[in-house]
Amino acid sequence: MQSGTTRTGAGSDGLGGRIRSALLTFVLILPAGAWYLVLLVAPLVIITIFSFGVRAKNGGYAPAFVLDNYGAILGDLDKAAPFTTSLSMAIAGTIGCLLVGLPLAYFIATRGGSRKGLFILLLVIPFWTSFLIRTYSWLIVLGPENLGGFVGDVIGDDSFRILGTPLAVLIGLVYGYLPLMVFPLYVTLERMDRTLVEASKDLGASRWATFRQVTLPIALPGLITGSILVFIPMMGEYVIPQILGYGRIYLVGNALVTDFLEARNWPAGSAKAVVLIAVMMFTVTFYTWFVNRGRRGREVSVL
Amino acid sequence: MAQRDLGEYLARISQNKVNRRSFLAASGLVGTSAFLAACSSSGSSGGASAAPAASAAPAASAAPAGDIEDSLFMYNWSEYINPDNIETYKAEFGVNTFQYDIFSNNEELIAKLQGGASGYDIAAPTAEYVPGMVEEGFLAKLDLSRIPNQKYIDPAFLGLDWDPTNEYQLPKDFGTTGILYREKLTGKPVESWRELYDLTLGEFSGKTVFVDSMGDVFVMPLKMLGYSLNSVDKAELEEARKILLDLAPHILSLDSDTYQVKLSSEEAALCLGWTGPLLELRANPDTADTAYSVPTEGSLFWLDTWVMMADAPHPNASYAWLDYIHRPEIQALETEYNGYATPSSEARKLVSQELLDDPAIFPPESVMPLLEGAVDTSGNNQRLDIWAEFKQKIGS
Amino acid sequence: MTSPAIAAEPVAGTATARPRRPRVDRGSIVVEAWLRIQAGLVYAFLYLPIVIVVLFSFNANRLATIWTGFSLHWYPEALSNSVVQNALANSFIVAIPNAVLATLFGTMAALGLQRVPRQVRIGFDVLTYISIIVPEIVIALATLVLFATGFGFLDETFGFKLRFGHATIIAAHMLFNTSLVLLLVRARLTGMDRTLVDASADLFATPWRTFRQITFPQLLPAIMAGFLLAFTFSFDDFVITTFTSGPGSSTLPLWIFGQVKRSVSPETNAIATIMLMFTLAMLFVGQFLLLRNSRRTQGRSGGGMASMVAEQR
Repeated sequence: MQSGTTRTGAGSDGLGGRIRSALLTFVLILPAGAWYLVLLVAPLVIITIFSFGVRAKNGGYAPAFVLDNYGAILGDLDKAAPFTTSLSMAIAGTIGCLLVGLPLAYFIATRGGSRKGLFILLLVIPFWTSFLIRTYSWLIVLGPENLGGFVGDVIGDDSFRILGTPLAVLIGLVYGYLPLMVFPLYVTLERMDRTLVEASKDLGASRWATFRQVTLPIALPGLITGSILVFIPMMGEYVIPQILGYGRIYLVGNALVTDFLEARNWPAGSAKAVVLIAVMMFTVTFYTWFVNRGRRGREVSVL
Repeated sequence: MAQRDLGEYLARISQNKVNRRSFLAASGLVGTSAFLAACSSSGSSGGASAAPAASAAPAASAAPAGDIEDSLFMYNWSEYINPDNIETYKAEFGVNTFQYDIFSNNEELIAKLQGGASGYDIAAPTAEYVPGMVEEGFLAKLDLSRIPNQKYIDPAFLGLDWDPTNEYQLPKDFGTTGILYREKLTGKPVESWRELYDLTLGEFSGKTVFVDSMGDVFVMPLKMLGYSLNSVDKAELEEARKILLDLAPHILSLDSDTYQVKLSSEEAALCLGWTGPLLELRANPDTADTAYSVPTEGSLFWLDTWVMMADAPHPNASYAWLDYIHRPEIQALETEYNGYATPSSEARKLVSQELLDDPAIFPPESVMPLLEGAVDTSGNNQRLDIWAEFKQKIGS
Repeated sequence: MTSPAIAAEPVAGTATARPRRPRVDRGSIVVEAWLRIQAGLVYAFLYLPIVIVVLFSFNANRLATIWTGFSLHWYPEALSNSVVQNALANSFIVAIPNAVLATLFGTMAALGLQRVPRQVRIGFDVLTYISIIVPEIVIALATLVLFATGFGFLDETFGFKLRFGHATIIAAHMLFNTSLVLLLVRARLTGMDRTLVDASADLFATPWRTFRQITFPQLLPAIMAGFLLAFTFSFDDFVITTFTSGPGSSTLPLWIFGQVKRSVSPETNAIATIMLMFTLAMLFVGQFLLLRNSRRTQGRSGGGMASMVAEQR
């Protein structure tokens, strides 16, 4: 009876057991791994090849090997405005999702009781209505004939407007990405053993200290996952700003769509995509390391 | 550019009178022939269906060579074909599956084709993309002997720069880009780009919407300066750039899809756009003052086309469709449904007077010489840079 | 000091409910109230646009954003529109299999990743994050090119003709969905307690039985959450679907985006409302049936569908 080693049941010792164990591991990661190889790595290779090409006469890709596309990006760093705009928008959106989503996730996980599943389902049902229709509904709600005008009347400003401003975009973003923040948080908080919280309170810790030292560390994996799942797609988002922001903001997503669809310059778009992916990978890695530093974690198989 | 021909064409047409009776008679004949055809082919579940039942309609349709397949895969804008016409086609030719797939803009269509997508029979791109598609080999060269009804297409739409030999596309419908405005708010008609410019910089700052389309937005400054809207001349574009950057801070929004919402809520009074939402806005009593004008300096004339894919899986059905859709009575029904002008002069005789008289839909003779067809300039880097700069300065 | 809510629920590891403490914690009442109010507000926020969508489906006017009068005529129009029905069917045909497969693959991978050497795990992590980072337009076009080239190659070499259709869309969606499930299940697995697993093994349970009765129930919330998210993403996706679809496999979002180019018609709202009502009806029927079933078999009280999704303690 050894604890702390990977156990696979009776007969786990010896070569036969180890081979079986390795086989099990292989089978487990095979499907996802195969998908990644064929549908992620291969397309990325294609994109990288494209990034060294040139625009074909009528648009698209023509084979070549030039560094022009990368040169254009690095040489025009003052044209990095879309990137910084997207960045601030994504950060604001992520914080918004966190502020709205964390209490909700906590509520469902700890106070939901037997109705937890119902709460979760109700959370996601609005998103089975088309994204576009939902966003257009926000156009109505925030429009001058409804909320926009109402707030304008209250504060006495005739030219007040919610639509077309960063506020409208923020509302739209938080609305659209909330489940992606709530689900990971819920999934980790739900596992939290309530006795810990009670014990902490019994030992005289304040509510805030309990939250900070008991709840938050447990929620941390969910928090990281949630913020990454929300922040990253927001960086590429352009439809919500286009509709609710009245097209007044030019973002990374717009730039990519312009390259691939309007200008049909696939090599230029591919180069931008490669740079974006590299920068984002760096950001995510740094973020994960930063949040996890000092935490001792061992991956121990539960199988 | 066949602008002169276009002018002549419209001069001739405006002299034709239409009356409801002939239109109804034509559609009655179409209906009858379709009914008869349906009866005769109702037993068969597909496969061959030769020439439709005897019809006394003015547009006889020759039997396409070969058996007509059971399906047709259409790739088109949303709701761009009169559903009645689809039903009649299906009944008449025994095509049981009319697969109607939708794209949201030309760029998607092109990108998909360039990526290698295939499987469609007929598509409806806008004319300026046709030359590129031909060069890339996406389109089938049409055997015009199989489309006898193309004789009804007005010569003004044949031999245009987009397809000099007329072998790759057939015209579908056409229209213009111009100024949409709420006359109640502006108090007077807005009839030139210059006026739009002045109003946007002045009294209506923050109340103007432009469609989010590079080719259409460039029309305004270039035409104001008296240049071709397809100009790729460095100096001309530079001048256009100045005008665009003047306008940018005063523009409320770049919006191709919901500008009618902004016009109806009076958030915007002016719009550089198309005639799509016009009929509905005018039908609504609250927004009945909405008007459209083709600016006096000139504007863009767009043409949507029918093309057949080079690898169309159902060529016979495709030819049947192309021939069928150019019957004048069918063309007239298309115009009634879409609200866009038909390129067939025969068909115009069957269109209701109300639509014919509407200058937004059928541009009057005086306007035609001012119109210029667009050319695909999406590869021009200067234009792209100006466009990106313009977009970043909107509303700032 | 413990709030009444906590005291009422049995806690894992203890046989009985905790006895109620005599002291009343005023602060905790505030917290409880705030949690409830906040949750209520968030749900109101989530459903506000939905209410608007439903309301405007009864708009007499064609322009879906100006109210002119009450009318039901969009519903028969929507229901008789064969293009829409086709699109709706396709949306389900694409979303359900791919959510199922993605959940399966993602869960398996999450479990497997706990057993691999560190380098492999890091490699997998990198790929997972990249799959989320890649902008949709980029992966959509690249996947299109991949498929087109691949199909052409297969056709020339083996005469094997593949086509764009449901399968290509499903395959493309599964990339993001698998990553989604993977991340959710891994978040749940992190720091998961092995003592129960060890105890079970010590009691001579087979590995499969241990998994089925100890591990799997603990993972279930994450798995169900992953499935729901994957389904939602796939059902509502537009960009990737546009470029990987073929004739006849257009989904509802494609139809809606295309419709918008003509005008934002209440017909779209009607479809959305129909879908919504159908979903809610299914939800309530399911809840009702499961509730009745569990009461009959004297299962846990107030279980129902919620117990499938919630943790089983």
